[in-house]
Amino acid sequence: MSADPPPVPATAATPGQWRAVLARFRRHRLAAAALVVLVLVALFAFVGPLLWRYGHDEITPDNSQPPSAIHPLGTDSLGHDLLAQVMRGTQQSLLIALTVALGAAVVGTVIGIVAGYYRGTTDALLMRLVDLFLTVPTIAVAAVLGHNFAGSGGGWVLIAVVLAALMWTSVARVVRGVVLGLREREFVSAARALGSSDLRIMARHILPNVAGPIIVSVTILVATAILAETALSFIGFGVQPPDTSLGLLVANAQSAVATRPWLFYFPGLVILLIALSINFIGDGLRDALDPTQTKGPRRRRYLAQPAARTDAVPDDVLLSVRDLRVVFAADGGDVPAVRHLDLDLRRGEVVGLVGESGSGKSVSAAAMMGLLPPTATVSGSIRFAGQELVGLAEPRFRRLRGSRIAMVFQDPMSSLSPVHTIGDQVAEAVRIHQGCSRAEARERAVELLDTVGIPDARNRLGDYPHQFSGGMRQRVVIAMAIANDPDLIIADEPTTALDVTVQAQVLAALRAVRERTGAAILMITHDLGIVAEIADRIAVMYAGRLVEVGTAAEVFDHPAMPYTRGLLESVPRLDRPADEELWAIPGSPPTMTALPAGCAFAPRCTVRVPDCSTVVPELVPLTAGHRAACLRLTPEPLPEPTTTIPERP
Amino acid sequence: MEIVGFALRRLLVAIPVLLVSTFLIFLAVAKSGDPLTELRERQPPVPPHTITAEEARLGLDQPVLQRYWNWLTGVIQGDLGPSVDRNADIGMEIGSRLGITMRFVLIAMLIAAVLAILVGVVSAVRQYSWLDYLFTSTGFLFLAMPSFWLAVLLKQGGIELNALAGRTLIYTVGDSSVIPPPTLGGRIADLAGHMILPTITLVLINFAAWSRFQRSSMLDVLGSDYVKLATAKGLRRRTVLRKYALRTALTPLVTVIALDFTAVFAGAVVTETVFQWRGMGDYLLESINGRDVNAVMAWLLVAAVAVIVFNLFADILYAALDPRIRRVR
Repeated sequence: MSADPPPVPATAATPGQWRAVLARFRRHRLAAAALVVLVLVALFAFVGPLLWRYGHDEITPDNSQPPSAIHPLGTDSLGHDLLAQVMRGTQQSLLIALTVALGAAVVGTVIGIVAGYYRGTTDALLMRLVDLFLTVPTIAVAAVLGHNFAGSGGGWVLIAVVLAALMWTSVARVVRGVVLGLREREFVSAARALGSSDLRIMARHILPNVAGPIIVSVTILVATAILAETALSFIGFGVQPPDTSLGLLVANAQSAVATRPWLFYFPGLVILLIALSINFIGDGLRDALDPTQTKGPRRRRYLAQPAARTDAVPDDVLLSVRDLRVVFAADGGDVPAVRHLDLDLRRGEVVGLVGESGSGKSVSAAAMMGLLPPTATVSGSIRFAGQELVGLAEPRFRRLRGSRIAMVFQDPMSSLSPVHTIGDQVAEAVRIHQGCSRAEARERAVELLDTVGIPDARNRLGDYPHQFSGGMRQRVVIAMAIANDPDLIIADEPTTALDVTVQAQVLAALRAVRERTGAAILMITHDLGIVAEIADRIAVMYAGRLVEVGTAAEVFDHPAMPYTRGLLESVPRLDRPADEELWAIPGSPPTMTALPAGCAFAPRCTVRVPDCSTVVPELVPLTAGHRAACLRLTPEPLPEPTTTIPERP
Repeated sequence: MEIVGFALRRLLVAIPVLLVSTFLIFLAVAKSGDPLTELRERQPPVPPHTITAEEARLGLDQPVLQRYWNWLTGVIQGDLGPSVDRNADIGMEIGSRLGITMRFVLIAMLIAAVLAILVGVVSAVRQYSWLDYLFTSTGFLFLAMPSFWLAVLLKQGGIELNALAGRTLIYTVGDSSVIPPPTLGGRIADLAGHMILPTITLVLINFAAWSRFQRSSMLDVLGSDYVKLATAKGLRRRTVLRKYALRTALTPLVTVIALDFTAVFAGAVVTETVFQWRGMGDYLLESINGRDVNAVMAWLLVAAVAVIVFNLFADILYAALDPRIRRVR
């Protein structure tokens, strides 16, 4: 199921992508504001002391003064000016935290990359090292070491070193996790095949790709380090008097909260402010680096437009889609995933809905099931057995789902719950819609699993999905789909995730199901071979639009839309000479946020005319049931397919 | 049975880690200074033979490696070694203090976990609602809150509340009353009363991160194919959430909480100092200041064992919750 907006590149590795990250970060208003706050705090801590009239260790004659014009934050019982002390304390805390983050980033990145890249013994040893640091409470070790260094006069640098030595593990774990995944990617294998040294691969190919996760985890680490340092100073093992830190200031003010509250609140609030801003910045960075996450309180809107229907619907039509539009709200603007879809399905009919990924076929299916995410807006009309589905209230939709309309998803590895038994999940499908007992539901589950060809079904009821192969799991999902003799089964790429031999078995199971139950099937796929085996009619989608529809014979034998022809030409066939090279449609599908004017296929089309880039072609009837959307179909009949498709070398 | 074998393997792996970490810490504390400074500088001076006797009792006259070896062999036989404080038995001391600390650490972890699950699940299910925004902003606030500052703030709140009421409504100092109430029920109430503020502190600073984690893990599961398929079966949303989403979304939190045990413990150390509990935190600070190697070592050993036991417990719980792990291992 891919009812999500089209994918966006997930890694940020080129300068252009970094600019995009920056732009996304700036749009995250809270994070941008937090960054401004943090910069101001840093200025306050590092530039402030140069301008302020009191030094942090200067004793003024005014002791225990509440905030006033002379001492904006008041003074302590010895006469120290609190503003000067808070500035100094913030400076110390920031210096320590930034040094910790930097140190931890370097150590953590190196160890994480080495562990993830070499794996095996190296990884095991390094991860034991990480365990070592996770076994003891950081604060205890830091206190021991802090006590050791207290007399040595090392100041903030030693505290920073101690904390960095204890905190690099979080970065290492994150980096290792990412590198383990990256190692098998093509660009790493390619670099290795080209003979690049390990060091070069790690520095040039892996490091840029883990930069995102490193930046996020190091940012968060700054906040953790601030909190750790202040806590350490608070219990007396961090920054030592006469120098000061925010934690030390709070510790000294403990007993005076009631009498001299300013001493307690100001330093504490500064810590809170710093940690809060850093966390917001980290949050903004995470979103900016992972643009696949859509943000914002967009709710789903249904705009039922039954008035758009002008043609009468014949009695045997089970599903009738008219002018269906689905728009996703995304950060980069609205994404029109489905545009003006018209489609009919008769009872018992198998229709293949074909198109490349991102063409809108899965989104259309999700709209028919009422399973679109909240970011989608649906308009138009979907009538199922006389009932309008667009805008249908959830309780009524729920009664249709699984009983009248059932669905089979793409990846059987992820569409079954890993923690419930097969028997549980199939019997549940029965029990939801038929008020029968548990025992009866189990009997029916055995029967259903038998029907889809699961051997020894009765003894496998107690098994979990991970004990089944992919093909077997997909049969289980099909068994669940037919549990209540539905009128329509929507199969969304039901064989894509499976091996070729298993594909054939699953298709056979579906065909058997169709014969047994008489259900109509909407088969969504990009694989024309599958459609040829099972479909009565074929509908082809491109960039959210229906571009051709007709019986299987019509579409296969007389494809009218150049895109359909391209699809057919790109299917490997046994009746062609083996040395003939396979044809591929040039170019790639358009970005849905920046659709070309006119025909969306025009930029890739080999027979385009100037009008194609300005006029959107309508579906033109060719025979009674065969329609296609191409400008070249109306003014003059297209030349024979053999001459329009360029000669292959 | 599989789980027992799994647990044993985990414990075996932990032993070398423990050996290395105890050795490093031992070196650090042993090198941190002379625990007898105070005795040597006492006025009028203590006779030299007393000092020599003390040195011999604490093993200070031996090289560090020999001392570590003695400590290690002692620990294996159940002897935690002598304390710098002649009258104190480290084992007894740790035992009573561990009871005091674990009492509120465990309760705080339990409350924080329940709260995190509730808040995280509600925020995920009602994503982008006002409730989600409220929970998210409080979460961020407590994530950024220094534990000691919050503890002092709560303590001050308690003091002012008591002043306002004219009597002790809520205890702000110590882990129990100096003169314990005569009855058992009274003693339990007394202990519970003293626990309120420290527990709230520990809950607030820990639940925030966990609820953020629970929210994202619930969101992941809500977007998963099996939740979609469960919905496509025609299940009520409530059933889908309870039976399919919640069940799988809870397991990752188990690991996170177990890994965070050290952080909770560290928070407890700070919280205890504010509320002046005579617990583990107090003992650590006292022992470090007194350069009491054996006491610090015993403290760290107990903490490390607690961490290992916690992680083991989490692994077993995880295996019980997730059939995939159960069978594979």
